Amino acid sequence: MKKIYLHPLPVRIWHWINALGFIILIITGAQIRFAENMGIMSFETAVDVHSWLGFILLANYFIWLLYYLFTGKLFKIYIPPFWRPVEFIKNSIRQAKYYGYGIMVGDKNPHHPTPEHKFNPMQQISYLMIMVLLIPLQIITGLMLWDPQLFSSIISLIGGIQIATLIHTGLWIFFSAFIIVHFYLATLGHTPMAHIKAMFTGYEEEHEEH
Amino acid sequence: MKTLQKALDSGGSLSLYIDGNKFEKSVHGAMDCSSCHPDITLKNHPKPKKITDRKVYIKEFSKNCLNCHPQDSLMKPKVHGEVVKKGEVFCSECHGSHYITSMKDWKKKASFSEYCLTCHQSNITKTLPSKEKISLKVNESEIKKSVHAKFQCLVCHDDFSKVNHPIYNYKDKNQYRKEMTRICTKCHTDKELQKNPAHYALTKTTSCIECHGYHGVKPTKVAKTLPENQYCLNCHSRPISMKMKNGETLSVQVKETDILNSVHKKLKCTECHKEFSTTQHPVRSFESVANYRAKAKDVCNNCHQDAVKKYDISIHAEALKKGNQQSPDCLKCHDYHKVVLITKDKSASSELCVKCHNESGRAFKESVHQKAINDGKQNAPTCASCHNSHDVLAANIAQLGNSCVKCHKDVKTSHNKWLWNPPVKLTTFVDAHFNSASCAACHTTVNKAIYLTLFDRAKKKPLTESEVAKIFGVDPKEVKGKIDYNNDGKIQEQELWQFMSSVKAKAKANLSGRIDVINSNDAHKIEPKSKAIKDCAACHDPSASFAAKIEINREGGKAVKFDLERSAINSAYAIPNIKDFYVLGLTKIKILDILFFIALLGGVAVPVGHLTLRILTAPIRRKRREGK
Repeated sequence: MKKIYLHPLPVRIWHWINALGFIILIITGAQIRFAENMGIMSFETAVDVHSWLGFILLANYFIWLLYYLFTGKLFKIYIPPFWRPVEFIKNSIRQAKYYGYGIMVGDKNPHHPTPEHKFNPMQQISYLMIMVLLIPLQIITGLMLWDPQLFSSIISLIGGIQIATLIHTGLWIFFSAFIIVHFYLATLGHTPMAHIKAMFTGYEEEHEEH
Repeated sequence: MKTLQKALDSGGSLSLYIDGNKFEKSVHGAMDCSSCHPDITLKNHPKPKKITDRKVYIKEFSKNCLNCHPQDSLMKPKVHGEVVKKGEVFCSECHGSHYITSMKDWKKKASFSEYCLTCHQSNITKTLPSKEKISLKVNESEIKKSVHAKFQCLVCHDDFSKVNHPIYNYKDKNQYRKEMTRICTKCHTDKELQKNPAHYALTKTTSCIECHGYHGVKPTKVAKTLPENQYCLNCHSRPISMKMKNGETLSVQVKETDILNSVHKKLKCTECHKEFSTTQHPVRSFESVANYRAKAKDVCNNCHQDAVKKYDISIHAEALKKGNQQSPDCLKCHDYHKVVLITKDKSASSELCVKCHNESGRAFKESVHQKAINDGKQNAPTCASCHNSHDVLAANIAQLGNSCVKCHKDVKTSHNKWLWNPPVKLTTFVDAHFNSASCAACHTTVNKAIYLTLFDRAKKKPLTESEVAKIFGVDPKEVKGKIDYNNDGKIQEQELWQFMSSVKAKAKANLSGRIDVINSNDAHKIEPKSKAIKDCAACHDPSASFAAKIEINREGGKAVKFDLERSAINSAYAIPNIKDFYVLGLTKIKILDILFFIALLGGVAVPVGHLTLRILTAPIRRKRREGK
């Protein structure tokens, strides 16, 4: 059994703050939106918690960003090799085939994570989108809804508060579904708890034969 | 015996002395006393006979005349008949009681004036068909003091004589006055009057007797030497009026006390009425009272340009232009000559508005503001404090919230104490709320609505009804049909979409929103601070009960409002049309909720499906491992 140090401490701290915050944001978001049907907390409390966590995750986002910028890993880990598109697409298809078919028949995972090459092509493209586009978009639209007056200039730039709301709600829908799938995918290691454990310890265990 | 006086209960006395010689010479000289006094005989003399009042006694006594002079015969001469019928004058008042001469002799002897005054010194009146009453009493001493002192009645009333007494039937006092002018101008000819242009002009607007009086004709030469206001008031203090071309009349009487109590007390008449002077009195003619009032504004404009300029953009000016006669102009609020400083008395100034806006007035009476007025607080608001006194604008464009801030200066700080979003306490969050809800929305307990105003984003102001009409190429009255296509009195999602698409094809428009009270009158019912709504969920709960309305502004007028189905606000149709208005929870788009649940189901279905497939394919993997 080989151990690879895949998740450095700052990334793990960021991840778990993010994970907890995300879940609570999704729930408080639902409470704000379904105030008439959900009774977890009052509207005011839901808004308070949502706002606090929004700012915590905003700061947390910068932990992630600064860490990856300063270590120079952002490019290596998150940017797919667009300059080798055929290879990238081939690899993506191979990875998709694995999740859709190979994993059922006992094929080996075509991707072997290393600290420098942590994500498979599908993870790479989705996390790039999430971290560089969707999360910032959710943060910005969240700020617009947090204080529509303060951010009125950006609001008018994107075409009104309704558009900001539409984006924020649309991403809330996406993230809600995503986090469920994310949980499931996290159980697809060589044991159901392998990836999850690694996210705490930093070390991903890999079978010797790999 | 010559002093046989009887004291009357009503005061005064009545001489009971009869000169026998004189009586014997009268037409009744041969008659016994009891012929006329049947209740008093030698055997029976009530002692003392009770006479309470001279007039009552004369009335009672005159009945005895009818014993010999039957009423039928008295009614025959027309004028005499009228007098008898009306019973205002009794026999003895004209004919005397004991020394009655024969009518023939009396007529012959009497001077003309004496003849007329026999009757006309009594309180006789004439009722015209207009129900107006004219007194026919002539005060002889007044004539004696007048410039016509030496005139006999017949000089002026030349159609009357001792044998001729025509009866005139004037429609009303106005016609009567005019006829009297005709009498005056027989001597005072037009030519003579033209020597004084101001006076001549006056004769064309009013009748002689209004200034000069009837019988006590006064000379008016003094006028020019008088102070100017006195000169004008010489005529205008009298109940004179002018007639408009359409037949309406307008009083041009000016009460001196009104001017002296007004803020204009130091002004001369000509400072306002510039075209008039002691030498000039132009004859003016107006179509109607409304036309006159419209021009009266120009008089105010001489000094109060700012106020008039503001008034001209007001909803009141617009309403007046559109023919609402009730709408106020300068005169309606400030009066003609009383001109008062309206803000002096807070209650009185509000009463002025409440005369027309009684519903709002009633609501205001229940408000914390009225309480402040009642408590005598100096800074308590009146209507004008919020609505302005001259540039009174329609509520939806007046930015009434600013009026609240004018007095409640710390309003942002006070709201920021509780209305803030963690973790930072920014007043911009308060502003966000102020921008999307009227103050009354939280400070009253009445029903609220979401108002969506059709807004021109290019011009940065509301799109007006006439502009919308132009877009559709229809009359403003037909705009309703262009938004409420199915004519059911409510606007549905599809109608909203169709309408907005048509408008947006020609103008850069969208709907800007705010939360406000449904009935604008209720906005005046401001509650004490303790009752203000502080519960966020009152608006932010998706099930909060709010009506919805679309309003399209009218130039200078009240916006036209249409009921909107609430569901339209919560449908995807709202996204491109209500871009700038979103109330967390309240205006959420429902389709997104459905998408959320689909996404959740999808999110669960993927792992469940994948896991199921993995479980089902476990034997394949096992075989493969074993095969190794």
